[in-house]
Amino acid sequence: MSRSRIILLVEDNPDDVELTLRAFERSKLANDIIVARDGAEALDYLLATGAHAGRDPAALPEVVLLDLKLPKVDGLEVLQRIRADERTRRLPVVILTSSKEERDVLRSYDLGANSFVRKPVDFVQFLDAARHLGLYWLVLNEPSPAAAGRE
Amino acid sequence: MSYSVLVVDDSLTVRMDLVDAFRAAGFRPLPCATAADARATLATGAVDVIILDVLLPDANGVDLLREIRGLPGGADLPVLMLSSEAEVYDRIRGLQTGADEYVGKPYDAAYVVSKAQELVRSRRDAVEGVVTILMIDDSATFREALRAALEEAGYAVLTAATGEDGLRLAGVQRPDAIVVDGVLPGIDGPTVIRRVRLDAVLRDVPCLLLTASEGQDTELRALDAGADAFVRKEEDPAVILARLGAALRRSTGRTPTADQTRSLLGLKKILAVDDSTTYLQALADAMKGEGYDVILARSGEEAIELLAVQPVDCILLDLMMPGMSGQETCERIKAAPIVRDIPLIMLTALEDRNAMIEGLVAGADDYISKSSELEVLKARVRAQIRRKQFEDENRRIREELLRKELEAVEARAARQLAETRARLVDELERKNRELEAFSYSVSHDLRAPLRAIDGFSRVVLEDFGAQLEGKGLDYLRRVCAAAQRMGELIDDLLELSRVGRAEIRRTRISLSDIAAAVTADLRKRTDHDAAVEIEMELTADADSRLMRVVLDNLIGNSWKFTARVPEPRIRIGSERRENGQVFFVRDNGAGFDMAFAEKLFRPFQRLHSESEFPGTGIGLATVHRIVDRHGGRVWAEGAVGQGATFYFTVPRQLTVDS
Repeated sequence: MSRSRIILLVEDNPDDVELTLRAFERSKLANDIIVARDGAEALDYLLATGAHAGRDPAALPEVVLLDLKLPKVDGLEVLQRIRADERTRRLPVVILTSSKEERDVLRSYDLGANSFVRKPVDFVQFLDAARHLGLYWLVLNEPSPAAAGRE
Repeated sequence: MSYSVLVVDDSLTVRMDLVDAFRAAGFRPLPCATAADARATLATGAVDVIILDVLLPDANGVDLLREIRGLPGGADLPVLMLSSEAEVYDRIRGLQTGADEYVGKPYDAAYVVSKAQELVRSRRDAVEGVVTILMIDDSATFREALRAALEEAGYAVLTAATGEDGLRLAGVQRPDAIVVDGVLPGIDGPTVIRRVRLDAVLRDVPCLLLTASEGQDTELRALDAGADAFVRKEEDPAVILARLGAALRRSTGRTPTADQTRSLLGLKKILAVDDSTTYLQALADAMKGEGYDVILARSGEEAIELLAVQPVDCILLDLMMPGMSGQETCERIKAAPIVRDIPLIMLTALEDRNAMIEGLVAGADDYISKSSELEVLKARVRAQIRRKQFEDENRRIREELLRKELEAVEARAARQLAETRARLVDELERKNRELEAFSYSVSHDLRAPLRAIDGFSRVVLEDFGAQLEGKGLDYLRRVCAAAQRMGELIDDLLELSRVGRAEIRRTRISLSDIAAAVTADLRKRTDHDAAVEIEMELTADADSRLMRVVLDNLIGNSWKFTARVPEPRIRIGSERRENGQVFFVRDNGAGFDMAFAEKLFRPFQRLHSESEFPGTGIGLATVHRIVDRHGGRVWAEGAVGQGATFYFTVPRQLTVDS
């Protein structure tokens, strides 16, 4: 079965976007990384609404890398809405954020996050984390038939 | 309702006399001639009060009393001791053994009966809620008729034939209401009521006046005297009962002071002190019939010794005595707490102005010449006792007011304290919320720029490293190192702040297991090793997550500071000390200078340079805070180059979650 190998990165900090793109570029595991700059944009993309109204909503990324502190709609609310929609409720969502405050971790899992990864300050470790994430979610993980991309 | 009185005396005359007197007062007398008889009667259990002679053919009365006090229910059974010897020391011995009252022979039967009634009453008050009515009427027929009606209605009834007897009975028994006939042989009904109204203890007792006539002036006289109601004698007893019921309902009950004050009309005990008893014996005989019991003491020394065990209402003291003089006795009595408030009247044979002044200077309350009429002395005694009673009453009222005021002040203070505490708790919660928001923001927002600094420096190193010279590369590496170090600092500070706020969940945990896990983790994370010895079964009542942080830091430090010694050894164990168990983490690493031991636990205090041993200087502050929050103590011992030992205690809790 062919897989899209598309990652949706939801991140408002341009530095983090740049470094994350570079990290995945190095690992050569992703075909494409789509960047959403805030929660609303991420939901528009996934549900094919607003600026992404013309998109095929059935074409979903393999995994969503979701920051928690986001303008407009914050990460936890994005997660909640993803889980609430029939089309996206099985979509793998990895929280990729700066803190590992206990309440954030607990709340994320409560709302149905598949994983929680803290972005390390050390770029070498960050590269390592990105490589592991790509390897796991894009190669090892067997997606749910309904949620996997069908390109 | 009749009470049983056990009369134990070997003299048939005494038994008969007392049996008659008690029977007349409505008691059920149980006469016994020997201690053996008394024991047998007591075994039947139906005894309310005991009259006990000191000298019995088969036992000593004091020994029998001790025996009675040991019986089940005998500890608070009222016992009145009789003695043919008027020896002061017998009296002291009897009272010390636990007699409630001690009466010398020749006794006054009326006094003995009244005293027995008083003792039974104080016991009855403690256990029962029966309403007692005192009825004063000279007609035996009428008394019995009304008694039947009142007892039928559930009241306990006391009766008296004259106003004088009635008042004495009222003083002793403190009835809940008094029904008195208007016309009596001695003092009349309105006078009885007037006297009741003057007594501090009895003044609130409802009084019903019975009258033969219906005239308006009779009613006026009754009300003028302070009667609560008046009823014609010819009325149906049901009317009297209804009136009585209404008066009792209206009465507010006893005032709080009434329970502690002795009625002026009740029995009085007088201590007379004189080396020659002739005058006092005459006095005692004259006063006995009127509810006074006179105790004689033959010297000042005897009097003082007796006062320690025998409460009295008034003291008569002769000024001229061999041994301790009247003046000195008076001074001693007036210097002692409690007894100094007893009215003291000085007696002297002389009409001597100087003697009088001496007596009053010594603290006597009054002074009288032995040549005065006995009536005058009696009047003085009554006046002194009345004065004392009013003083007592006033003092109690003042104390009551003060107590109420104090209670109000305490209540106000408690309220203010609660309000202040609530405000402080609110403030603290607000501060905590702010602090939490602050650390949350620090945790997110301060790390992002660091990631960019480190990340882009690496990118430059990777992509443009070839274009940089040695120094340029070095500087960029320094930028990365600094960013990473700041990341660690932020993490450690957040941890310190978190352990200060975290809720502590205590359970019985194994520090040995945690230490083993920490060691395994260190072996995985670092590239050097140490010989680690962990004592088995180290347990504590503590928060397991926080104790993990403590051991992470302490064992982590030992691990770090033993990295450069040839044979690194770390030991985790415990010692039993005076104040309980002390845990320790000991190593043979770099150690530290004891001069800086205090600084170790302050945040950012470091005793080694970053290049020597890396660290943020926050770990031990975190350890300190965690141990502190468990109510324990942490301290360190060490020497440069000779290793360090970190000690900590975790006091046991009385209850922990299992």
